[in-house]
Amino acid sequence: MIVLGRRIQMEQRMAVPKSAVVIVPVVSVIAALVVGGVFLALTGHPPVRTYLDLLDNGYTSFYGITDTLGLATPLICTGLAAAFAFRMNLYSIGQEGQMYLGMIGGAWAGIVLADSLPPLIAVPSVLLFGALAGAAWIAVPAFLRARLGTSEIVSTLLLNYVALNLVNYFIFGSQGFFRDPTTSFPQGRAVADSARLSPLSFFTEKSTNTYPTFFVAVLLAVMLFWFMRVSNYGYETAVYADSPNTARYAGMSSAWLQSSVLLVSGALAGVGGAMYVVGPAGKVDPGLLQVGLGYAGIVVAALARYNFLAVVLAAVLFAGLRTGGNALQVSNDPVPIAIAVVLQGAVLLFALGGELFRRNKVTLVRVQKATT
Amino acid sequence: MNSNIWLLTFADAISIATTLILASLGAIITERSGVINLGVEGMLLMGAVTGFVVADSTGNLWLALLIAVLVGVVLSSIHAALTVGLRANQIVSGLAMVIFGTGLSQFIGKPIEGDPLPVVIRPLELGWLSDLPFVGPVVFGHDLFTYLTWAAAGGASFYMHRTRPGLLLRATGDAPATVDAQGGSVARIRWVHTMVGGALMTFAGAWYMFARAAAWNQAATTNGIGWIALALVVFASWRPLRALGGAVLFGFSLQVPFTLQALQIRTLPPTIVAMFPYLITLAVLVLLSTPRARRLLGAPKMLGQPFVRDER
Repeated sequence: MIVLGRRIQMEQRMAVPKSAVVIVPVVSVIAALVVGGVFLALTGHPPVRTYLDLLDNGYTSFYGITDTLGLATPLICTGLAAAFAFRMNLYSIGQEGQMYLGMIGGAWAGIVLADSLPPLIAVPSVLLFGALAGAAWIAVPAFLRARLGTSEIVSTLLLNYVALNLVNYFIFGSQGFFRDPTTSFPQGRAVADSARLSPLSFFTEKSTNTYPTFFVAVLLAVMLFWFMRVSNYGYETAVYADSPNTARYAGMSSAWLQSSVLLVSGALAGVGGAMYVVGPAGKVDPGLLQVGLGYAGIVVAALARYNFLAVVLAAVLFAGLRTGGNALQVSNDPVPIAIAVVLQGAVLLFALGGELFRRNKVTLVRVQKATT
Repeated sequence: MNSNIWLLTFADAISIATTLILASLGAIITERSGVINLGVEGMLLMGAVTGFVVADSTGNLWLALLIAVLVGVVLSSIHAALTVGLRANQIVSGLAMVIFGTGLSQFIGKPIEGDPLPVVIRPLELGWLSDLPFVGPVVFGHDLFTYLTWAAAGGASFYMHRTRPGLLLRATGDAPATVDAQGGSVARIRWVHTMVGGALMTFAGAWYMFARAAAWNQAATTNGIGWIALALVVFASWRPLRALGGAVLFGFSLQVPFTLQALQIRTLPPTIVAMFPYLITLAVLVLLSTPRARRLLGAPKMLGQPFVRDER
């Protein structure tokens, strides 16, 4: 037998091995860190020290991890929103705008309703109105998708820019309802005290940036995971995602499935915005506009492979990159915060490439000359 | 006075349209091969920032444009490697390009944020032509690249509809299995056109930087133009020449808020007027999705579908 050379052979896997589920995301993160390291080195920042600082400021120090959990709270929501739509092959990228609307809707409830309600009812109603506002913001793209087949990708995205200007209008462009009337400084009107939660202290005397809403977000993830596993609805969406034709032959309504999934996705992102009102902000705060948690939610969802429980882990990971990056920006050797976004993008690109290894068994085989 | 401002608005609309035409030409060429690259916004930003950085250190506009084009080729080949090579989800990969491009451009652009432009692209001096009333500023008041862009749209249309490689390109988007059976390489055609498309997108960003922007500012430089360019592809029903009219229309809607501000028209707050380009784009998309319009549109049939031989 004469060996002619080697070639890469791909074989589709029947079942995904357990190890690949863990290895692919871990390797993606490491590979992204290497790419980020190259950019850091090129711009004169020692990569290893920068990463150690990032680790300390983002995860291992007390304020690092509590800041991270606080930031992860809305990110879990936008991640769940993206995962919920993407697993149905509905590529809504409007989480950013729905989150702003959730903030507006939540603040409205917090100002108007909460005054007369006890906290036990006021806080949930803020979250509920945030969800409703988020769902309302995706209603038009959802209707267009289900009825006319308009691509939800561009329509949801365009509405992000509209939502951004809407928040700016409420705070900077008008003396309206959401604007604080007591000061000429442009800021949001504060919601009632009963609509706000106090930060967790984690059994210390310190005040942190983590709010009890973090557990609400985790609970949402667990409930979604469970519901989509056991319910008829979860089954129908899974069938539809695999094969829309099969679903239609089985009598499922594609218009209902598409529109309901998109509406729930919008509501989840909206809750994320409302959690911002209940927690750190307490008002409509344009500060949220600069963080990009909606877009990051898509990365989180993709890295979690649209698994709701994994979304929580991915969100904490990404929030840590962000809080760590924030700390680096103001350190002695300031590293632009954009490095966190570069890392996010790179993680997603590598995770996508890793898909191949998850779905296929990749082996290097020797090509042999046929013996006749 | 006022008529003068509206004249300038028309001229500016045609000028902005240059970016939109270039970016959507890139997207049309990419999508005709069956690959959808949603990363336009990130590509525009990367083209703009790399162009700026190169021009800043060398002072050479042509080198800056060349490097920006090369960056587009590199970035889009990452997209091609993931989607054509590894058959990853094209939508998610495109979104990753947006996020990666946004972050990286911000990272690269940090040191030069707010710096004045080292070089600018100026309108051509066309002598008496530029002095003509109305036609002068609107038609003859532009730079070389604007005219080349209009010519490129014609060229792309000719290529796609009148040449053999163009026919293969369209066939690859509609029926890759047929191209494959005929001995053509679906993967190669998709790679090449994704890279050419990417080059056009970053060139669009670099042109915008030098011709229209005042300074590098990640948040404000492109401001969603990449997404409008993607909507324009649908508007143009994947035909280069139809993108021209749409680009002027969208360019006009992008320019009007500034004009209203200049005229001190305050019937609507500027933040509300700033929503219009996006709402108009959305409205156009909706009109185009009515069943009647869809029949006339003709998107590439296998758009977004990876091609695997022997499957099914």
